[in-house]
Amino acid sequence: MKPPKFMYCDPDTVEDAIALKSRYGHDSLVLAGGQSLMPMLNMRLANPDVLIDINGISDLKRITRTGEVLEIGAGVRQSELETDAAVADAVPLLGKVVPYIGHIENRHRGTVGGSLAHADAAAELPCAAITLDATVVVQGPSGRREIAARDFFEGFMTNACAPDELVVAVRFPVASAASGSAFVEVARREGDFALAAAAAVAEVGTDGRFTALSIGVAGIAATPVRATVVEEALVGQAATAENIAAAAKRIADRVTAGDDLHATGTYRKHLAATVVKRAVVAAVADAQNRSNGS
Amino acid sequence: MTTTENSPEARYAGDTRTVTLRVNGQEVTREVPTRTTLADFLRDDLDLVSVHLGCEHGVCGCCTVLLDGGSVRSCLMLAVQAQGHEIETVESLSADQNNLHPIQEAFAEEQGLQCGFCTPAMVLRTKEILADGQERTDDEVRHEISGILCRCTGYQNIINAVQNAGRKLRCGGAGGCGSAHDEAKGA
Amino acid sequence: MTTVENEKPRYKYIGSDRKRVEDPRLLVGRGGYIADLKFPGLLHAAILRSPVPHATIRSIDATEALKLPGVVAVVTGEDCKAHMNPCMNFGPSSIPQFPLAVDKVRYVGEAVAAVIAESRYIAEDAVELLEVEFEDLPAVTNPVAAMEPGAALLHDGHGSNIGYERTFEFGDVAGAISGADLVVEDTLHWGRSAGMPMETSGAVARPGLNGVLEIYCNSLNFSYFSFLIAGALKLPSNRLTMNPVPAGGSFGSKFTAHKVPTLAGFLALRTGRPVSYVEDRLDHLMNSDHHASDRYYDAKMGFTSEGIITGLDVDVVDDYGAYMQFGVGTHGNAFSQIVGPYGFRNVKYHLRAVLTNKCQQGAYRGFGSEVHNWVLERLIDKAAVELGLKPEEIRRRNFITNDQFPYKIPGGNVYDSGNYPAVLDKALGMIDLEHWRSEQKRLREEEGRYIGIGLATTQERSVFSATEFWALNDNPDFPLTSSPESATVTIDPAGQFQLLLHCQSMWGNSPETVGTTVLAEEFGIEPETVNVRYADTARALPGTGPGGSRYTVMLAGAVRGASRKLQRKLIDIAAHSLEVAAEDLELVDARVQVKGAPEKSLSLPELASTAYFFALNMPPGMESGLEESYTYDHPYTTLPSADRSDLGVFYPIMGHACHIAVMEVDPDTGTTKFLDYVAVHDAGTMVNPKSLGGHVTGGAAQGLGSTLYEELAYDDEGQFKSSTFMDYLVPTANEVPPFRIGHVETPSPFTEYGIKGGGEGGRMVTPSVVSAAIDDALREYGMRVRELPVKPATIVATVQAAIAESSK
Repeated sequence: MKPPKFMYCDPDTVEDAIALKSRYGHDSLVLAGGQSLMPMLNMRLANPDVLIDINGISDLKRITRTGEVLEIGAGVRQSELETDAAVADAVPLLGKVVPYIGHIENRHRGTVGGSLAHADAAAELPCAAITLDATVVVQGPSGRREIAARDFFEGFMTNACAPDELVVAVRFPVASAASGSAFVEVARREGDFALAAAAAVAEVGTDGRFTALSIGVAGIAATPVRATVVEEALVGQAATAENIAAAAKRIADRVTAGDDLHATGTYRKHLAATVVKRAVVAAVADAQNRSNGS
Repeated sequence: MTTTENSPEARYAGDTRTVTLRVNGQEVTREVPTRTTLADFLRDDLDLVSVHLGCEHGVCGCCTVLLDGGSVRSCLMLAVQAQGHEIETVESLSADQNNLHPIQEAFAEEQGLQCGFCTPAMVLRTKEILADGQERTDDEVRHEISGILCRCTGYQNIINAVQNAGRKLRCGGAGGCGSAHDEAKGA
Repeated sequence: MTTVENEKPRYKYIGSDRKRVEDPRLLVGRGGYIADLKFPGLLHAAILRSPVPHATIRSIDATEALKLPGVVAVVTGEDCKAHMNPCMNFGPSSIPQFPLAVDKVRYVGEAVAAVIAESRYIAEDAVELLEVEFEDLPAVTNPVAAMEPGAALLHDGHGSNIGYERTFEFGDVAGAISGADLVVEDTLHWGRSAGMPMETSGAVARPGLNGVLEIYCNSLNFSYFSFLIAGALKLPSNRLTMNPVPAGGSFGSKFTAHKVPTLAGFLALRTGRPVSYVEDRLDHLMNSDHHASDRYYDAKMGFTSEGIITGLDVDVVDDYGAYMQFGVGTHGNAFSQIVGPYGFRNVKYHLRAVLTNKCQQGAYRGFGSEVHNWVLERLIDKAAVELGLKPEEIRRRNFITNDQFPYKIPGGNVYDSGNYPAVLDKALGMIDLEHWRSEQKRLREEEGRYIGIGLATTQERSVFSATEFWALNDNPDFPLTSSPESATVTIDPAGQFQLLLHCQSMWGNSPETVGTTVLAEEFGIEPETVNVRYADTARALPGTGPGGSRYTVMLAGAVRGASRKLQRKLIDIAAHSLEVAAEDLELVDARVQVKGAPEKSLSLPELASTAYFFALNMPPGMESGLEESYTYDHPYTTLPSADRSDLGVFYPIMGHACHIAVMEVDPDTGTTKFLDYVAVHDAGTMVNPKSLGGHVTGGAAQGLGSTLYEELAYDDEGQFKSSTFMDYLVPTANEVPPFRIGHVETPSPFTEYGIKGGGEGGRMVTPSVVSAAIDDALREYGMRVRELPVKPATIVATVQAAIAESSK
């Protein structure tokens, strides 16, 4: 199990990387953290003429907070999100999601941009990105453009980047002080891709009713999906376990994943409702803790 | 981009590269095919056969090395990507079986190994885990070693070895703190 | 706690938790594994694996592959047909197998062609350039359908897809079932998993001097079977030397594994160059020497109203795979402990082993006995519920009692010794079951949580005899009866010890620790001072190698035998030197001394010096030197009867275990969690309790894998669904609980020191106890584990179906 031959390119700048992408297009692949692409190369499921290694581009490795936006460079390693105080302060959900990505040996190499670009529907960061209404920043020969996370994941392992574009950063809105967040995942083994996972960010008013709620679900369709039907059913309603459980069942209609070795479609419908329910309940508890604590 | 000497074909030409990196404290420079994995480079070019290939697709963790102090799957890196970095394999602790590092000694005492195939990876991961000097629960250790598969031990003796090694290191060497720990554990 | 203390002699080294002598080299990363071997000019092979389950190979075009710089040769099944004999085979000779598919492929992943090149990278490049034309044949994936008339045949020469069929009946099963107060029945499926060591199988072969082919490989038993590999390669047996290489785990997967060394040897012969073939993980998952058991059961068991078992009726269809090189030995293992630890006398076993388009089966820790254990325990648990008996109580009522040993079971095998109540009591003493039972009720009522308790008592047979390879057949080609093990002990001129083992036995077990511990016990030296080596087959005395939990027992017997010969010689030399009678001398703490006058003594270096350099100080006629070998034969085996109404004694060294698990099951996710787990084993006298505990824990973790996670799955079309470690789920540390281990020691009356084998036991119990705990947790939903691995989806489906049913 050895990688095939390729032309190895290790540009120092985003511009050089984009020039390579422009030139080689579909004959090239971008090597970020390598935790998904390297196995595919070793198994020869990927066979690019040109491999564009972006690990040497220092511009992609910054985490910056500007006002109410946290921008994370595409080249930031996932393990940095676990320990970075600015991230924990600005977007607490990320610190809850990241430990579920593979194992620490993967997260030491795996990058934020790599995970988003790979667009695996069962992956954690894409799920967090749609939940948080993040913005993916991509750059091409004609400059940068921003794509809302919910538009970025187009289909099974496909994203909205043009062949000559590179994911350069992702922007997260800073979480409101009143919000609580949670992430719940069920996998065959810890560290595996999710059979189903849900991220939730909730705000509850003083009257005990949801004032805001966003829920993202992984592992149940070709892309991560927002549980809009659940959100709509709950906002304005009392944040009780019964209400949450009843609303969470609505996610089952969004489940399109069928049977595979590890799960059945029927199971995923039940599981999706379960993880949504638990994530929302935990997010509510977190919101209450945060408001009690502050 | 337009001139020949600046074209990607010229700039990135060739199936090999010269890489310079530090391995177990020594600087090494080698000419290496660009597609060679870091694992194969360490094994074949540097004879560091302690880096074991268990799956070559990033799941088993037997090829784990420390890259700038952090554990990574060396089968999921190209050797050329280690340019300028510091790599540690288990030989960096001790390559002398008559003079083991306290972590290795702890694994021997607890029988935290059987066939030895995942062992270098587990020892390196232990070094990384214990770098913060903190005590941790067995459950925490269990979670922290979960990125490396061991098919022999059922993990318990590895967890015991990590805890034993932690005591040794916190007490400054193979001798450990003597009975202080045992009393604490008994209490 | 009521553990019975067994009387045993006190040992100084045997029975203490010493560090393993194997570990220092492993800890510095110098295990000397097969992939670490480097020879000048070494070539590397990669194979093309079949993408289709069943097809005729129309053509293989290697033109483009051979043009690639660095490619040396492409070898195919046509070359095998022309230059080889079929591989070694303990199954029907009408089902031949070659290391590369000949004429047709019979499962996804079967090796079609091998490319030999200067590097593995180039070899894999060239594999991609091979062009193969397949003509598809119908895939046979369901073993029941495979038996139907008109099903596509895997092997035309065999004439049927039934590889083996026979009914064995011991006692009166019809009477036992019809006369029972309660009959429980179940349909069960034990799914396919495998040993799956972290190191795959591999071999390096090179043409040596004098026309000898040298093969280095990490297979385990080649001193037993190298002549068969020579036969496949059409070499005189003395022109093949197989060299032992330590293995990075086996668990059965490298037991008699021959495909890899045979292929490497063949490639070296075809090219005249040294060739390495090391399976990559995909090779190993799809095309290893063998997967493990994959069986469908219809089973029933009769009981009296008091819960006493009256009889067992088993109908098993074995989804065997495409070849049968290991015969039905996995069922022989079931026969070795067919009644478990229970005293019932009536058993019927209808076996059909069916050929299907899947990788063949072979050994995995338990070798098929663990499957039978699971069936037995499943049925007993079902009866316990119906009779309102606690799981420990129904088992206790059925135990063979201490005064019945040695005990001949239906079918003929003998259990040497045992104390099953002591093991059960020890386990019950390590865990407060009454606490957990009340906690189970409380958590269900107060917190809506579901916990369950599982308990199983099972046998762990050890020390197989070779008769088990053929005893299920009427007319075996080669009804061998030997399964010996040898050791050579040398004291060098300076008094230092060398121990030579006559097989490749290092795969993560502790052969060197065992051997040196016995030497320490016998001579009073420190185990770490002994140097241990492994003989190649040109030098090897009879040896069978590790497998069937035999090696500790057999090696202890061999080393003790050689030690006794050497002790006699040392005493004779000392008697001559000291001018005292030999019977007045004793060997104590590495000195030969006069009994009652220890100041009059000679040290081992002094005696060794005499033996090597002072012939005139030796007794007249004594050979110079200090080296003795001993071949220890199986301590207790008998032939089967001609009509196979008695299969003979073939697995008599019988261990026993009791596991108790407390698990929590989440009915909404189907995930499980352990709250506690105790495992008590009786493997006779323990050589090193910590090592034994390590094996129990490791085996239990594997049993857990087979129960909840691991699956070598084929779909209905014969496509393989588990071809990576992202699909074949080996448990990580997160999934494995902290097993709490206890030991009981009931020595064997038949082995040296009373040791029994204990290498496989963990895996032989866990599936039963985990299945029982899951059932118990979700009993109100009618949960019943019938198929392994039991997946979260199955658990949730059961719960949801029950909820839907109750709301109707």
